[in-house]
Amino acid sequence: MKDIVRQKIGINVDIMDMLNEQISKEAHSSSAYLAMASWCDHNGLTGSAEFLYKQSLEERDHMMKIFRFINENGGTAYSPEVSNILHDFNSLQEIFETALDQEIAITKSINNIVAKCRKVQDFASENFLQWFVHEQMEEENQFRRILEMFDLMGTDGIALKLIDERIKHGE
Amino acid sequence: MNLLFKSYNFASYQCDRSRCFYIDFGHKTVKLSFCQLLSLRQKVQKIDLDSHFDKDLNYSGIEILTLCNREHLFILDTMQVIEMKELIKATFGMLELNSLVTHS
Repeated sequence: MKDIVRQKIGINVDIMDMLNEQISKEAHSSSAYLAMASWCDHNGLTGSAEFLYKQSLEERDHMMKIFRFINENGGTAYSPEVSNILHDFNSLQEIFETALDQEIAITKSINNIVAKCRKVQDFASENFLQWFVHEQMEEENQFRRILEMFDLMGTDGIALKLIDERIKHGE
Repeated sequence: MNLLFKSYNFASYQCDRSRCFYIDFGHKTVKLSFCQLLSLRQKVQKIDLDSHFDKDLNYSGIEILTLCNREHLFILDTMQVIEMKELIKATFGMLELNSLVTHS
């Protein structure tokens, strides 16, 4: 019997499922950043808002990267539905703590797919995901640095404004 | 045609000559490309079986399944959904096994 599946698709079908789930997670992440940006805009934290708008776009780019990878390799990428986006926050610090937690969850999810790639010997997908492994480390570190600013400078008044400006300039 | 899996009412086949797959629904056989088979798999996997046992979530206890860009339409009851889920799982299991055997 011919191996028609392998002729049609270059990646493992189970990995394709996991990548589709990852698409949903990246889309959710992108929308979550958008909600955070909106909160910052309404609370006079324009620097952080700008940073989070960019972050939202980055997450969408990640989603598109996976989306195209699946389709280019013969699989079927599914456009995700996004729900349960949190719009209420107590402080800027809470926003960045939530953002870091979100990035950690994404890292875990990526690592999980890489582990499965190794198990099923889907080296093409593993190689593709290496970029994400590296990217996630950068993203996590970025949010850690921002949270350290709150530890150093405090969370009220002028300190908050200074942090907001530093976030805008990516310091 | 090579039989991939046969359940009580349904069966799946692979045709090497046309490089396509066939699903026999009992009263009707549908030809599917691999892409269409993937789409069917996704639709079947997404069906929430638990909702069939909750009157508020799925009052009628049926699922409407469209295939091949809505060329075909099937209405499945709970037992048929269970059987279809089994068929899809076993079919892809057989295809994976075939891949392993072919390339080992």
